[in-house]
Amino acid sequence: MSRRKVAFAGGKSRGDLVKDVVTYIVLIVFLILFLFPIYWTLITSIKTPADTFTSKFLPFIQFEPTLKGWLGQLQATENFKALLNSTIIGLSSAALATFLGGMAGYALARFEFRRFFKNADIVSWFLSLRIMPPIALALPFYALILFFGLLDTHPAVILIHTAFFMPYAVLVSRDAFRSIPIEIEESALVDGCSRLQVFFRIALPLIAPALAAIYIIIFAFSWNEFLFAFVLTNKLAVTMPVYIAGTVTTVGVLFDALSVRAILAILPPVALGLLVQRYIISGLTMGAVKGTGR
Amino acid sequence: MMKHERIKFLFLLPAVIYVLALVIFPLASAIVTSFTDARFGVVGANFIGLRNYIMPFNDYRFYNSLYVTLLFTAIAVPIELGLGLLLALLVNRDIRGREVIRVLLIIPLFVSPIAFALMGQVIFYEGGGGINGILKDLGLSVVRWRSNPQTAIFTVILSDVWMWTPFAFLIILAGLQSLPKDLLEAAKVDGASDIQLFRHVTLPMLIPTMLTVLFFRVVDTLRLFEIPFTLLGGGGPGIATETLTVYIYKVGFRGFFFGQAAALSFIYLAIVSIIMSILLYRVRKYYV
Repeated sequence: MSRRKVAFAGGKSRGDLVKDVVTYIVLIVFLILFLFPIYWTLITSIKTPADTFTSKFLPFIQFEPTLKGWLGQLQATENFKALLNSTIIGLSSAALATFLGGMAGYALARFEFRRFFKNADIVSWFLSLRIMPPIALALPFYALILFFGLLDTHPAVILIHTAFFMPYAVLVSRDAFRSIPIEIEESALVDGCSRLQVFFRIALPLIAPALAAIYIIIFAFSWNEFLFAFVLTNKLAVTMPVYIAGTVTTVGVLFDALSVRAILAILPPVALGLLVQRYIISGLTMGAVKGTGR
Repeated sequence: MMKHERIKFLFLLPAVIYVLALVIFPLASAIVTSFTDARFGVVGANFIGLRNYIMPFNDYRFYNSLYVTLLFTAIAVPIELGLGLLLALLVNRDIRGREVIRVLLIIPLFVSPIAFALMGQVIFYEGGGGINGILKDLGLSVVRWRSNPQTAIFTVILSDVWMWTPFAFLIILAGLQSLPKDLLEAAKVDGASDIQLFRHVTLPMLIPTMLTVLFFRVVDTLRLFEIPFTLLGGGGPGIATETLTVYIYKVGFRGFFFGQAAALSFIYLAIVSIIMSILLYRVRKYYV
């Protein structure tokens, strides 16, 4: 890989060793800093309420862990209602956004648009939606949903999440379609397949892994989204972030309960995110940066 | 690229129409609202011309929120870029366990800001536990993370840096790995030191990646909402961390001055657009 592999095959020079040690020290310091909030939340969730105000951080050694906080929260039906709402909204908006966005991504990857707008203009338009501040949309959207009597329902949040996260699906799937050879589709067309057949039977299955990743990333985005869900729901359709934000005051300093809820809220997106981390980069930059970052 | 086919519109238009219907038309209706004195629950609204657009410029809270927003962006984004670059350079070295380190470092990326705000209640608790508990144990003085206006600003910046440095790290790492290896090798063989290599070879080639990170970070920091809103109780203490988004939210959904909030949204949109169109122009070429 580098010069030292050639010059010092089998061993590293002293200078390289020193550099490695420094690298590890700096990385470990930052790992501790970046994992501290999560670690602290985890141990707080298994502390007794009295222990949550102390700085003890080693379970079993410094404090006796307890599952009381967990049991209490797992018995609360409101938690499950919010988790269920988040799941329904996440699954639906991810499905809609991935499907509609995937079709548009295919159009932009495989066809040339010349009248009115060129491909580059359409891509820029989708990209520019990403800079749209949610608050500028929250108010008009609230008025629209109010007008249709859909406030505090799942469709209200699904509709706006789909619209808001669709640009990701368009740009990332366009990228995925462009990476597969066009010849397969061309020969299928020559053999008499219709364009729709080519899309559904050939192109879509070929980018299935990317589609799954897009779906999961949008699910996580929707799961974590706060402002729209907060404005559009108040009781029946509250998502997990809205629910936990609303109970901060009622829970007060019951830090064990609070920590359990925080973990319940972050667990699904963290697990899913790590599952598709190979695709996370193009997902986060909407296809601008490729690679796995390994 | 294949030749002209009418069916291409069938593929493209559903997405475009959907977004137009749900984003553009509500925005258009908001333009109308912004010229009226519309209030929630009050039937009928009067046309009041440009008054909603002039009022913010006589309101110190508007200037305060603009200042707070720009301050957060100006401090947090460079820190995230710098730290992200440092971590990416280190993980990009040929060391053992880099896979594990990388995965652990990107975990904060998936934590929702609201969940972090909740975790922050515990970590930034001023009476003990979390950071202050550890500071006490070390014999240091405690920090008033959430009750002092000056430190509250840094609590927000710290939270943002925690949540988004992993983003900068991950994208810059991907950029580092896509650099042409032979060029780096050649420079090494020619006897370039690590610092020379970084300064004259790596960094210039990383500029596009850094710009992309900058673009996405600036977009998101300008709309900072969750941490000031939840962790600091609506942009508190007082209005010390009241960002533009929090301010507009309060006008629209606490005061229910819809006309005023709509006008503020468009002023905000104009500010964001001016800043972003400069950046977007530089970034756009990586897509097309």
